[in-house]
Amino acid sequence: MPPKSSSFGAGARAGTSSSGGGLPALSSDDMCPVCKTIRYLNKDMEFLIHPDCYHSMCSNCVNRLFNDGPNQCPYAGCHKTLRRKGFRAPFFGDLSVEREVDIRRRVAAVFNQVEDDFETLLDYNNYLQMVEDLTFELVHGTDQKRQQAEAQLQAWEAEHKADIERNRRAGREADDLQRRRIAAERDAARQRRIEAIKEAEEEKRERVRSREAELDSMQTGEAGGGGGGGQRVQLKRRGQVNKNTADAAANMIQDKNAAAAAGADGLGVGRLSIRGLKEKKRPPPPEGPYDPFGGLDFIPSRYTLEPKGTLNHPALDHWRLDQGHITGGYSFDEYISRAMFDAFAGLGVFIEDEKELGGQTGLSAGQVATIGGGIGAVGDKMELDAS
Amino acid sequence: MEFNIDELPVLFPYPRIYPEQYAYMCDLKKTLDAGGHCVLEMPSGTGKTVTLLSLIVAYQQYYPEHRKLIYCSRTMSEIEKALAELKALMKFRTERLGYEEEFRGLGLTSRKNLCLHPSVKREKSGAVVDARCRSLTAGFVKEKKERGEDVDVCIYHDNLDNLEPHNLIPNGVWTLDGLLRYGEQHKQCPYFTARRMMQFCNVIIYSYHYLLDPKIAERVSKDLSKDCIVVFDEAHNIDNVCIESLSTDITEDSLRRATRGAQNLEAKINQMRDSDQKKLQDEYEKLVEGLRGAGEGRQEDAFMANPALPDDLLKEAVPGNIRRAEHFVAFLKRFIEYLKTRMKVRQVISETPPSFLSHLKEYTFIEKKPLRFCSERLTSLVRTLELTNIEDYQPLQQVATFATLVATYEKGFLLILEPYESDTAEVPNPVLHFTCLDAAIAIKPVFDRFSSVVITSGTISPLEMYPKMLGFTTVVQESYSMTLARRSFLPMIVTRGSDQAAISTSFQVRNEPSVVRNYGNLLTEFARITPDGMVVFFPSYLYMESIISMWQGMGILDEVWKYKLILVETPDAQETSLALETYRTACCKGRGAVFLCVARGKVSEGIDFDHHYGRTVLCIGVPFQYTESRILKARLEFLRETYRIRENDFLSFDAMRHAAQCLGRVLRGKDDYGIMVLADRRFQKKRNQLPNWINQALLDADVGISTDMAVSSARRFFKQMGQPFRTKDQEGVSIWTLEHLKAYQEKKAEETIRELQAQQNQRQLMDAQANGNANGGAGRGDSDYEMDDDDEAELMALDHH
Repeated sequence: MPPKSSSFGAGARAGTSSSGGGLPALSSDDMCPVCKTIRYLNKDMEFLIHPDCYHSMCSNCVNRLFNDGPNQCPYAGCHKTLRRKGFRAPFFGDLSVEREVDIRRRVAAVFNQVEDDFETLLDYNNYLQMVEDLTFELVHGTDQKRQQAEAQLQAWEAEHKADIERNRRAGREADDLQRRRIAAERDAARQRRIEAIKEAEEEKRERVRSREAELDSMQTGEAGGGGGGGQRVQLKRRGQVNKNTADAAANMIQDKNAAAAAGADGLGVGRLSIRGLKEKKRPPPPEGPYDPFGGLDFIPSRYTLEPKGTLNHPALDHWRLDQGHITGGYSFDEYISRAMFDAFAGLGVFIEDEKELGGQTGLSAGQVATIGGGIGAVGDKMELDAS
Repeated sequence: MEFNIDELPVLFPYPRIYPEQYAYMCDLKKTLDAGGHCVLEMPSGTGKTVTLLSLIVAYQQYYPEHRKLIYCSRTMSEIEKALAELKALMKFRTERLGYEEEFRGLGLTSRKNLCLHPSVKREKSGAVVDARCRSLTAGFVKEKKERGEDVDVCIYHDNLDNLEPHNLIPNGVWTLDGLLRYGEQHKQCPYFTARRMMQFCNVIIYSYHYLLDPKIAERVSKDLSKDCIVVFDEAHNIDNVCIESLSTDITEDSLRRATRGAQNLEAKINQMRDSDQKKLQDEYEKLVEGLRGAGEGRQEDAFMANPALPDDLLKEAVPGNIRRAEHFVAFLKRFIEYLKTRMKVRQVISETPPSFLSHLKEYTFIEKKPLRFCSERLTSLVRTLELTNIEDYQPLQQVATFATLVATYEKGFLLILEPYESDTAEVPNPVLHFTCLDAAIAIKPVFDRFSSVVITSGTISPLEMYPKMLGFTTVVQESYSMTLARRSFLPMIVTRGSDQAAISTSFQVRNEPSVVRNYGNLLTEFARITPDGMVVFFPSYLYMESIISMWQGMGILDEVWKYKLILVETPDAQETSLALETYRTACCKGRGAVFLCVARGKVSEGIDFDHHYGRTVLCIGVPFQYTESRILKARLEFLRETYRIRENDFLSFDAMRHAAQCLGRVLRGKDDYGIMVLADRRFQKKRNQLPNWINQALLDADVGISTDMAVSSARRFFKQMGQPFRTKDQEGVSIWTLEHLKAYQEKKAEETIRELQAQQNQRQLMDAQANGNANGGAGRGDSDYEMDDDDEAELMALDHH
């Protein structure tokens, strides 16, 4: 129902009534239009509205009128029946905006497509305008138009229930993520602030200490030495502190990135059957861990090593047991694998071939290197120490 | 004077040159050749402007690219001065070369200063002049006129259309006065002449804002090409200019007026829908297509420009939900109502743009994207509605600018809501500060766009602070000392009064009677011995008022009164200019005067106290900023986190650059002399932060002295300065004639040759060695290894012994 502007409220607050829906504005909230109490008499006066008609009145009036069950709105010409439960404090000063936002809340809950759902920007913009037109009908339209729009809204809701639900969830997750990110940032900032203060204090203390040390050293007669030393210590300290904070900052950035990445995964994309909507893309299969060598393995192909600890030969005991060899970090198996590697290293690499290849085609050094690498990899698996 | 730097012939309009001017030119040329940015500090009063202009003009004329010079200065008077210098320079060049060069130099300033329209020019406020001018000169007004409607137009502006668009004004250098006179003679608008001729000029001289403030820069300076040479003169405050250009304050009153503006807009839309539906429809179609008609975005009569930077310029179409005019107005209203609600909070809030946006979205369903397009959309709407009384929409424009900025930048900005003016205030007066914390944001497009940017000032120490804060790298970074034939200025740091008690304006002791009395004594003593004028700087108005009233109680002012007239600076500009006038009269008459002013006030920057107008400058206290301000605190934190500049470092840097500015007021040339007194205990540690040229003249004996010592050495100084001193004495030392310059250049050239020879010799030697090694049959590497082995053997041998 479009709320009718009541002469009753408008007269009391001449000049502040908004032009939009003719609703009385709350901006000069000094007098209750129902009981005519003014703020001077009741300092804690609070105005409440009911989202059925958006007529404001003070909390005392609400209690008085609606405590005994549903009652009619006291505004002249407004025949809405209101209940105590529905009353709330308005967020906006301008009640027409309050009403508009309430409607928008409903609309936004239904029309919650995001830009990624559409194929082109133009489609998305047309969609946005369609939604906006609908909202406008709901807010400012005549009775008939409003009912039409309402019907449209409901039809849409029924039609796309699943999509709406999905987008809603995605939206909520995104919001959550955003909120968490902001909170994390705030915490990080606070942490840094505290650290900076601590650092400054530490430095000050250090300065005092070094000064004292200097004085002491002068007292005992070692002029110069104490002062220089103290200064050096201080410099070193400061460097360390700087490094620490830099590390901490780097860690923090990493954490943040990780969080952002996690959030991106959580953003699901819904699909809807309106014009210009994008085909839903299958997410690419998850990639394995990054392999810097591009699938090259280092298991030797020309020989096999016995499993660790099983190689037992009297000739080798010397290398295994001699106290002269054994030292911290020494491992017999490592020694064997290294020795084998040394023995086989270079087999399968033909320097003459590579030279020709490089010389004939006149390739650049980089290309030669890659080709060489390829030869090594394809012709024979590069034999590297497994360690 | 005519000489060459490398191969570049330079014409210098004076018969003599200072050594530092020559060095400055050399470094400037190096920068231009290398095509990078530079920071140069040259002592005040050594002819920085003329040096700069003569080198750059020579550079322009010599090389075929004719790179344009954009010279930015801070105040009107400085712009005028630079134009006069340029005019003299070009006259000299014409005489010397024997023909007039194809050259055009123009200055640009606001409409208010350049208007010729009989009724508009009488308006007092610049904003009103702008608005009225637009209502007479906007594109649609002309269209209406052509349709035969009866509308007012500006004849001066319309006459421009009859001229050739690239030749509105003949060649030559036009000072602002000259431009006005020419405009009056030929009945053409000087402002638009200058604006439209900017592309066809060799030199443009205007204020910082035309380049730094993105709101203006987009309209005025968009067409300037990449190879322009940009100079920021008097740039010691450039970071603050950058920050101010992107910050806005929103008050309850401005929101109220913005609401009214939005309502007016709505009424206009309804009116237009009834009468001229087609226009709205046209605009709508255009927005649907996402076409921002070429050139339309930067029409000179545009209502406002997008405050976001050119990089972030929104190239895509306006979002669908603000495409229709009525939707957009409802959108604006919702946003304003939201801001009003936020203003009702009675505690201080500071939040980042993302958190503001998420709250906004939660309560009003306003997304970030349409918000970004706010100012763009408003401009388009105002153009479509053909509004003329634009000053009414100014608050609305402010809100739209705010909306665009808050949605564009996530980092480097902060929203601070202060419900009360001061901590003790009872009546709320909420202000929403949207403050930019990062000076690099506004200046970044300038560095990105132009290949050579020169930042220069008399006091820009420490030099490395500026590249750090503004986010750029320099090719040359140089601070010049002042060559002097005699010690013509005497800096001193006074830390104690005559009674040996330390003096300081630090918060704990500033109101102690002993400190106040000691400062009073310092003032009296110097008032007694200083001839003619004397300037005193205080850290703030508040402190100045309190200390003056205490001095009055102690009878100190009566004492000063015996020797000098006392004049005081006030926040009111007119009062201050009257005081300044009186001060100058008193100095000329021989009565002498003391001017008490504030280190961050108008007097401390831009007003010169040359010769007898200022023989002593006394800086009472370190001029720190008011550190309790929330905006400053936020900025300090930002600097610490982003650029790793510590709070105290920045505060001290900021205080010292203001102190140096104050000191520089008194010395405006080589024949000038004066005393500079820094009176605070804390200056002792900050000595290294003074500009190079002051620090060099500051002897150790003059640091940390008491009042009586300072007075006696000041007396000696004035006695010395009283001796006759002729220009001839300075020649060869602090002033060069052409012969001196030639001799210096020869010496320099010889040195370079010698250096080069030495290098060559060395290289030959090295080559020979290498050859020897190669001949030896082994590669270099081998020989190295051998050496290593030998060394090792030796070391081992040593160990065994």
